[in-house]
Amino acid sequence: MSRSFVPRRSVLRGALGVGALAATAGPLAACAPGSSGSEPRKLTGTPSASAKGEITIWNRSGDLFKVFDAAIDAFRKAYPDIKVNHQAVDIDAKLANTLISGTDLPDGSFWDDAKIGGQAEHLYDLTDLIAPYRDKTSAYKLSVNTVDGRIYGVPWDLDPGLLWYREDLLEDAGVDPAGLKTYDDLLAAARSLREKNPKARPLHMEKDPFLGQLWLEMLAGQQGTSLADADGQVRLDSKEYRNVLNWIRDAVDDDLVTHTEYLKQADLAALESGQQALVPWAVWWSFAPQQLLKKGKGKWRAAPLPAWTPGGARSGAMGGSSFIIPAKAKNPELAWLLYEFLCFKEPGYSAVYGPSEVYPGGLTTSVPSYGPARRPDKPLFEPVAALGGQDLWKVAVDAADTIPSAAPIPAWWAKSVDYLGNNLQRLIEGKMAPDDVIDDSTKKIQRNLVDRA
Amino acid sequence: MTSGTLTPPRKERTAPAAPRPGRSSRRRPFLAPYLFIAPFYVVFAAFGLYPLVFALQLSFTDWKGAGAANFIGLENYTYLLTSEEFWSSLGNSAVMWLLIVPVQIVGGLAAAVLLANARLRLRGMFRVAFIAPFVTPLVAMAQVWIVAFDTDYGLVNHLFNLVGLPDVDWLQSTAWAKPTLALLFLWKTTGFAIIILLAGLQAVPADVYEAAALDGASRKRQFWSLTLPLVRRSIAFLVVVQTLAVFQMFAEPFVVTQGGPYGSTSTGGLYLYNHILASDLGTGAANSFLLVLLVFALSLLSVRLLRSRDE
Repeated sequence: MSRSFVPRRSVLRGALGVGALAATAGPLAACAPGSSGSEPRKLTGTPSASAKGEITIWNRSGDLFKVFDAAIDAFRKAYPDIKVNHQAVDIDAKLANTLISGTDLPDGSFWDDAKIGGQAEHLYDLTDLIAPYRDKTSAYKLSVNTVDGRIYGVPWDLDPGLLWYREDLLEDAGVDPAGLKTYDDLLAAARSLREKNPKARPLHMEKDPFLGQLWLEMLAGQQGTSLADADGQVRLDSKEYRNVLNWIRDAVDDDLVTHTEYLKQADLAALESGQQALVPWAVWWSFAPQQLLKKGKGKWRAAPLPAWTPGGARSGAMGGSSFIIPAKAKNPELAWLLYEFLCFKEPGYSAVYGPSEVYPGGLTTSVPSYGPARRPDKPLFEPVAALGGQDLWKVAVDAADTIPSAAPIPAWWAKSVDYLGNNLQRLIEGKMAPDDVIDDSTKKIQRNLVDRA
Repeated sequence: MTSGTLTPPRKERTAPAAPRPGRSSRRRPFLAPYLFIAPFYVVFAAFGLYPLVFALQLSFTDWKGAGAANFIGLENYTYLLTSEEFWSSLGNSAVMWLLIVPVQIVGGLAAAVLLANARLRLRGMFRVAFIAPFVTPLVAMAQVWIVAFDTDYGLVNHLFNLVGLPDVDWLQSTAWAKPTLALLFLWKTTGFAIIILLAGLQAVPADVYEAAALDGASRKRQFWSLTLPLVRRSIAFLVVVQTLAVFQMFAEPFVVTQGGPYGSTSTGGLYLYNHILASDLGTGAANSFLLVLLVFALSLLSVRLLRSRDE
């Protein structure tokens, strides 16, 4: 459930089980059934600034790794006696297995919020250490990192949903972006755009089932709900999900939808041609006008999402990551010092979000979870030229402040895409009704995932 | 014979006989062959037999890769046998089998007959051309497939457009995703089928054909009455091996479609993998054994159907 800067599929999902017939169960023999997992341990003591030692930290590869590398340099200056081995690792493929086996563990790692709840028993309980920062940290981020009242991840990025729109096309159609306050307003705006240009299908709806479900969760999360409650029970059969699914059906019935895969060629073509002009999506969509769009560069703007009810929350989260410390880490206290520096100390979060060699204007694809790092009057990244010089920081942090808290993301969330994600696609294709999406998905998720968790 | 010099000294004659070999020495000649083959059995026991027994044990538990493994009897098996997705994955594999195996046997046999013809020019080049996809890494080929069959910018749709045909959603429509994957599998493995069939054809003595020709048998008659019966065993072998491969097919859908759209390319192998990915190892193990039983039964059936009456 992490945000992506580029179009991606789930090709990162490990390398287990190629043609896994019975004989391929061999590697499993290394961890015989019956071996008990370690009890979650509580990390409480904070080492002094003169702490010494060596830690291994895992991170994703790519540009984000380079950004963190620079930020870790700042940490090294603050804590010269701590040696940090910062490693780029295929975390999705490796971390869960490493936590289970307990061998060659890092002292800390970046991880999707969606995966933390399912592995809490292998992680340090960080509740006491986070306590001083708790009141000022996003309620949503705390909620997804909390299992049975204990916090297992250091909340890192917050990915608020925004409404991305083509300013020029809305102006031509006589639509005032400031007036898009509810989702009914958004449908009305889409109709106006199509009246102006009959070829327009202004609203983007996602064709990739995984991202589609992530998008659905953003829209539901905006109303304070999520696929599973705090006990891991499915709560799809609710007024909030019906609101979203009925709204999607209305948009489809009115032929207002461009149904394409996130930033694939067909999507880009529809964005460039003006066929798509309204994209409710996470802040990380800012990547598109900055890196991918040519004709549309400078014409897109961001606004808070519309609300589901007048005066309701103007954003929901779409993805996000945190930092974890394995329960069997060798130097957990030192890893905590690093994460405390990156998440809660000004030189740390500024080094990540501020201008860098990789992102000269700063990292614009998310905002910090920690309130003091998210002040509207103290932007960490600069106005974005590809958005006509808009102050994206202010829009994003204002939206982020309204995101309601949720519940821990269940370990089976990604698997539920086979049911809910696919049924959502059927709804967008006009092959399924909202109530059927809810009934069928609930039944299958319950039988195949919840009952067997 | 009177010469004392020719008589062996008595001392030597009465010298005590060499000590009789002990029990261990007597065993040595018998042990040696076993010691020679032992490395195979040790490796087989460690990496073949033990995992098999382990997986069988696992299939009766709810083990998730950590914590205690609780014995749950046949629950994993009953779950799978009543699961829509399990049967759907087998149905997908069965359709893939129909799209692949008959086509491959017919096409492979035709190509092998052509390549066996000594008068064919550039025979070596053709042989290399057929074998090349077989030795190319599958993941690389799968990436080519993704690009070539992309709806928006793929080469195949571009060619379709050139002759006035509309775009086809090759990998994103339930109607076309399976044939597109089957084509990838055929492209990759038909070279292997040709090798096997060519070897079978070349094992047929030339004088059999000469005798048939003298008796007035046409080329067509020779094919149906000689070639086909004589390569029957090679065909049976291929059917068994490819049945195994199709039902275990994993990498092709994993890389190209991830089982989509709507699970229409979720094969038996990929469905099994998804249990392992979700750390549901008990269900994964049970799924393995159900798949093994099915493939075993299908292989047995294929061999029986292809067995000649005199065998």
